[in-house]
Amino acid sequence: MTSSTNKKLFDPVKIEPWLYLSPAILLYALILFYPVIQSIVLSFYKWDGMSAFKEFTGFNNYRILFFKDPVFWISLKNNTIFMVTFLLVTNSVCLALALILNRPFSGRVVFRGIFYFPYVISMIAVALIWGWMYHPQLGLINELLRAVGLESLGRTWLGDLKTAFASVIVTASWKAIGIGMVFFLSGLQTLPVSPYESAKLDGANAIQSFFYLTIPFLRETFVIVITLTVISSFKVFDVVYAMTWGGPMRATNVLATWMYFQSFRNHNAGSGTAIATLLVIIMCAIAIPYIMLMSRRSVSSQ
Amino acid sequence: MLKKTRAVRTVKSTAFYAFLIIAAFIYFIPLFFMLFTSLKSPAELFSADATLFSFPKKIMWENFPQAWQAGKLYIYMKNSALITIIRVPITLVIVSLSAYALTRLQFKPANLVFLIFLIGMMMPLQIFLVPLMIMIKKAKLFNTYWAVIVPYIALDIPLGVLVFRGFFRTIPLELDSSAKIDGCNSFMIYSRIIMPLSKPAIATMTILFSLNTWNEFLLASLFIPKDKIRTLPLGLLSYVGEWTTDYPRFMAAVLMSIIPVFVVYLFFQRYFVQGLTGTLKE
Repeated sequence: MTSSTNKKLFDPVKIEPWLYLSPAILLYALILFYPVIQSIVLSFYKWDGMSAFKEFTGFNNYRILFFKDPVFWISLKNNTIFMVTFLLVTNSVCLALALILNRPFSGRVVFRGIFYFPYVISMIAVALIWGWMYHPQLGLINELLRAVGLESLGRTWLGDLKTAFASVIVTASWKAIGIGMVFFLSGLQTLPVSPYESAKLDGANAIQSFFYLTIPFLRETFVIVITLTVISSFKVFDVVYAMTWGGPMRATNVLATWMYFQSFRNHNAGSGTAIATLLVIIMCAIAIPYIMLMSRRSVSSQ
Repeated sequence: MLKKTRAVRTVKSTAFYAFLIIAAFIYFIPLFFMLFTSLKSPAELFSADATLFSFPKKIMWENFPQAWQAGKLYIYMKNSALITIIRVPITLVIVSLSAYALTRLQFKPANLVFLIFLIGMMMPLQIFLVPLMIMIKKAKLFNTYWAVIVPYIALDIPLGVLVFRGFFRTIPLELDSSAKIDGCNSFMIYSRIIMPLSKPAIATMTILFSLNTWNEFLLASLFIPKDKIRTLPLGLLSYVGEWTTDYPRFMAAVLMSIIPVFVVYLFFQRYFVQGLTGTLKE
């Protein structure tokens, strides 16, 4: 009797999957899951990030963020500007490029490769190259403006409150065009051919079939691209850190850089973890519907 | 009539190619600017008569070995390469074992475990930073390679499991059952049947994990700030300020940091694209 219950408890067939999963689960729990919990707990403490002394202050870190920290609101605004620009402008460029490079012509693989390449370079290298492009005296952008007689438009792009964050967005867009293009390309390749043929027979022009056929057919691709754009807009860090360090006057901070500076430069880990917690809340609000969608799809395809 | 349409078509396709080539050229201007800068002497850069976007008058190849030496690129490249070589195979083994359990073994909560893994993919890095810093300092790993290797492995578990799980499901289950009849246990099925069949997935993930490691900045900047252990992006960023009067050599260093990625990209382009959209194909 006892031996049979033991057998059930330690059924090798049931334990086996756990053995295979154990390294991943252990690492996941230790490096990902536990820190999330600890970050959330720390966000309720006043703590400098180093000393042994922590003081529990409830929601005080959040209260300070919302009511007394202008940089938090600047950061949130910048993340939003970044997201909206990417959604409307950058993604439109990606779609246009994908439509062009989806046409059958010889050499299109080469062009795809060209437009995709900057995406694989490190953001730090990209930021350094573009920082050099924006250089006030020697940079290419002011030089080009001088060459076409628009010298008055030249400026210290990254040091000017009006242009600093826009310059960062241009850099980030330049790097990201390739990945957006690839997502749209793989969506375009699933389009059926026959509706286009019958539309052509019915006298529809290219613009009409784009709006009435291509856009509706790409609905799923749009969901994916929009979700990933929103997520990556709130994760953005490297490009701001390397190009402007959040300046001038902290005006180009995003939530991720402000979290970093608060936690590791300004000795305010309490506030930093509170920002990180808010980031997670934003991310979950966007990502969980998406994950549900994806897992439902993969279950139904089983 | 026929001749005319053919002529029109030729003009159209020439215009199309011209448009694409110009667009590609404009898109690559930043990279050309980096290349031309890296081949000039500082004197040429500062001289009033030379325009910036021009081919260098005298090509200064020596900028490259100088940047390599003075910029200590050999240290940073070695560190990045070492970290990549250690962490990529470990990650591949860990995620493929998990994906194997989730797809091929009798495992009821497979979908739940997979969902929990997926959630990890959406998390912003910021939520891990402060507790990880405490852990790494407590474990005395601060400023050692392991301070980034372990988090890199953990952070790529969600994506790795997602891609391998997707790939393993395309392998017919009959292979497992016939191998079982031949006396294979589950680990032999994994190592002798499933993994050898998964070479495309392994290649894709090797490229993607290597790229993630080579380009990663935030964790490296926090956990391995010591000059001797720094990775490439961190080393490059440390020139800013130091090298502001020496843009040619600075750009030479940036260029050299991109070359390994560029070479791998040239030869394995399709794996890059597969790896990055693999999550979509699921």
